[in-house]
Amino acid sequence: MPRLIKLADGVFDWADARFRPVGDDEPVPPGDVTVSFTRFMAEGEALLSGRALAVRVEPDQPVEDLAYDLHRVAAVALAFPKFGDGRAYTSARLLRERYGYTGEVRAVGAALREQALHMVRCGFDAFEPADGSTPEDWAAAAGRYRHVYQRAADARAPAFVERGNGA
Amino acid sequence: MYRYDAIDQDFVADRSREFREQCRRRLAGELTEDQFKPLRLMNGLYLQLHAYMLRVAIPYGALSTEQLRRLAHVARVYDKGYGHFTTRTNLQLHWIKLRDMPDILDAMAEVGLHAIQTSGNCIRNVTADPYAGATAEEIDDPRVWSEAIRQWSTVHPEFSYLPRKFKIAVTAADKDRTAARSHDIGLKVVRGADGAPGFEVMVGGGQGRTPYLAPTIREFLPAGRLLSYLEAILRVYNRYGRRDNSYKARIKILVAALGAEAFTKQVEEEWAKIDGPKVDLPQAELDRIRGAFVVPPFEALPATSAAFEAAKTSDRAFARFARNNVHAHKQPGYAIVDISLKAPGETPGDCSADQMDAIADLADHYGLGDVRVTHEQNLVLPHVKLHDVHHVHAALKAIGLATANIGLVSDIIACPGLDYCALANARAIPIAQQIAERFADQDRAEAIGEMKIKISGCINACGHHHLGHVGILGVDKKGEEFYQLSLGGSGAEDASLAKILGPALPADKVVDAVEALVDAYLGVRRENERFLDTLRRVGPEPFKEAVYAEAH
Amino acid sequence: MKALTANDLLTGDVVFWNDGRWVGRFSGAELFDDGPADEALVAAEGQPTVVVAPYLIDLQDTAEGPVPVSYRERLRALGPTNRTDHGKQAEGGADVELLAHASGAARSTGRLDLIKRR
Repeated sequence: MPRLIKLADGVFDWADARFRPVGDDEPVPPGDVTVSFTRFMAEGEALLSGRALAVRVEPDQPVEDLAYDLHRVAAVALAFPKFGDGRAYTSARLLRERYGYTGEVRAVGAALREQALHMVRCGFDAFEPADGSTPEDWAAAAGRYRHVYQRAADARAPAFVERGNGA
Repeated sequence: MYRYDAIDQDFVADRSREFREQCRRRLAGELTEDQFKPLRLMNGLYLQLHAYMLRVAIPYGALSTEQLRRLAHVARVYDKGYGHFTTRTNLQLHWIKLRDMPDILDAMAEVGLHAIQTSGNCIRNVTADPYAGATAEEIDDPRVWSEAIRQWSTVHPEFSYLPRKFKIAVTAADKDRTAARSHDIGLKVVRGADGAPGFEVMVGGGQGRTPYLAPTIREFLPAGRLLSYLEAILRVYNRYGRRDNSYKARIKILVAALGAEAFTKQVEEEWAKIDGPKVDLPQAELDRIRGAFVVPPFEALPATSAAFEAAKTSDRAFARFARNNVHAHKQPGYAIVDISLKAPGETPGDCSADQMDAIADLADHYGLGDVRVTHEQNLVLPHVKLHDVHHVHAALKAIGLATANIGLVSDIIACPGLDYCALANARAIPIAQQIAERFADQDRAEAIGEMKIKISGCINACGHHHLGHVGILGVDKKGEEFYQLSLGGSGAEDASLAKILGPALPADKVVDAVEALVDAYLGVRRENERFLDTLRRVGPEPFKEAVYAEAH
Repeated sequence: MKALTANDLLTGDVVFWNDGRWVGRFSGAELFDDGPADEALVAAEGQPTVVVAPYLIDLQDTAEGPVPVSYRERLRALGPTNRTDHGKQAEGGADVELLAHASGAARSTGRLDLIKRR
């Protein structure tokens, strides 16, 4: 079973990748799988029964369309076709902050440790690193800044709260 | 002025440490150049023709004298003893070594300077009116809002990998000294119907390959809702800005493609879903920021100064300086003093380390320690007592910075161009120097009046040529440098985009062409008409004839 | 005829390939015909911790020796025209004279290829 980096209770560690990616034209095997957003929108009900399901969302796909089913989706994999494509940061924040999603939000594709801080702050808690990095690398990158200036999907208090100027 | 507290200090120290580590990984081969490049760009470090170039952030164009002296030190120790002020009120150092960068960032962090997000596909330095806090024209101090935006936009986790760069300007007076409408977001502080403070929000301006003036998408945004509204705009852009073609990736393209109305609708819908109190600054924080910009300890002085008047009478050069470089201050007995970095023959916008130190001394002695940078590549001492202005002038003269040409034909904006920049197609600096030298006669320059020439060495328009009364764009025609003239642009409150006059001219014909434009203007102008006004009245034809008759 | 240029990773200096090493002066640049030029480029691209963005530049022959065809490359080999006390031109020498007085120009195909590759 391939593994990925998981962030749980503030700790980065290896974990099983758990979901087997299944292509749009493949028959879906038993067990936990990842399907594309397109396939999920077409077959959702059928896929959900008897398994834990992950949905892979490409940057141009509206994560809002998952809203009604999110409580039944075990994980949402947000793709970074290139690490410079920052759309998944918005998708992650919307999942966490607008839809209250508490399942796994996973970074796939060009997920690099140098973007660990941004990903964690936007609500990602699982990472398939594309650069051979380790949980220690991600912890180091995500921990580089003692302060942040704005609120995001994480629980970090922004600077103005630290200053005693806000709730 | 805003002084870093412990949190701000920690932040730039952490940033510096982060970049030190990223450099180490790059040099060890753990990061490829493709992976490293966006990281170094987000710390303002470009690889240019001759060396690395570092773009230091000067938030809303405001510097303390301690910071200015530190820039002089960095220029001396790590560069070739000078820096270049840019059209986004930052400072560029053109001869930097990557191996010195960690130490440079540390040296700057000590005084609250950094190069965070001065490049890259992220929110860039927020610019503001350089006369903030000094001019009677403003209805509020735009630096308050610029500082709020600066903090909110710094290492914003959602908006650090945008489709392209993002530039914001804040103005608070009817006279626009920021070129707000040419920005991705331009904010003008206004008062609502009940006198409450707020912003006119303009989105979708930009220069470069396809210039646009930003439409106003909201006439009035309550001031306290600023950050949540910006978040809505940035989110719409992050999601829907094009990522397939970097020449079509700015927000101006999105706004033009959707139309202002449809774009506005998307922003307003997103904004309605944002939990305002999570994003907008609490009043206590706004008050804290505002507190940094309180009115300095001005003395109670008479509105006129005998010493100032006497100096004007006795010294022609000072009288000229007073006419062109000195502006009214909101406090009686004070003045705003512009320092021109456009001495004819010099490189526009360049300032030596010695000059920076001297300006810092002047600011400390005569200027309440406050220095500003304008988007026209000049500096400002915003708070000088009228009766000290002639002392300031004398000191500026001693360091070669007393050129009395603000806003005149020799006050030229020019990007570094092909002499320095890897993106350029032609040189801009020699053209600027030649024009300035042709019009070095100060009586003549004053007789011509306000005339803004802006020169870019390539289509990226860092010289703001789209906003020039005369815009000049360097192009490469079969390897030779040619220059395309445009007329009628303006970066002020009467914003307009310059229109191409005719075929590009070879380098050796440009100065004559500019002179032909000037002569054509002088031939038909009415009283009190600036070049731009005459052009708008008579149209481009007389100018076109003058230039192309000359060129043959 | 071509030469191979890049910028030094640590310093940003303009450098030229010479038989597996990098030199600072154009006068020290190895001159190539097309085939060997491509091989050298591949080798240079295998030095990512030494240089950034290596690319080939076109040269033209003059009586005094080869010069880069493109004005941009002559500027890189010399330094900025507004500060002749900065850059390699400040060091003086016969090759500086040659570069400074070379005329004629064309786009550098090596540079265009680099832009296209990106």
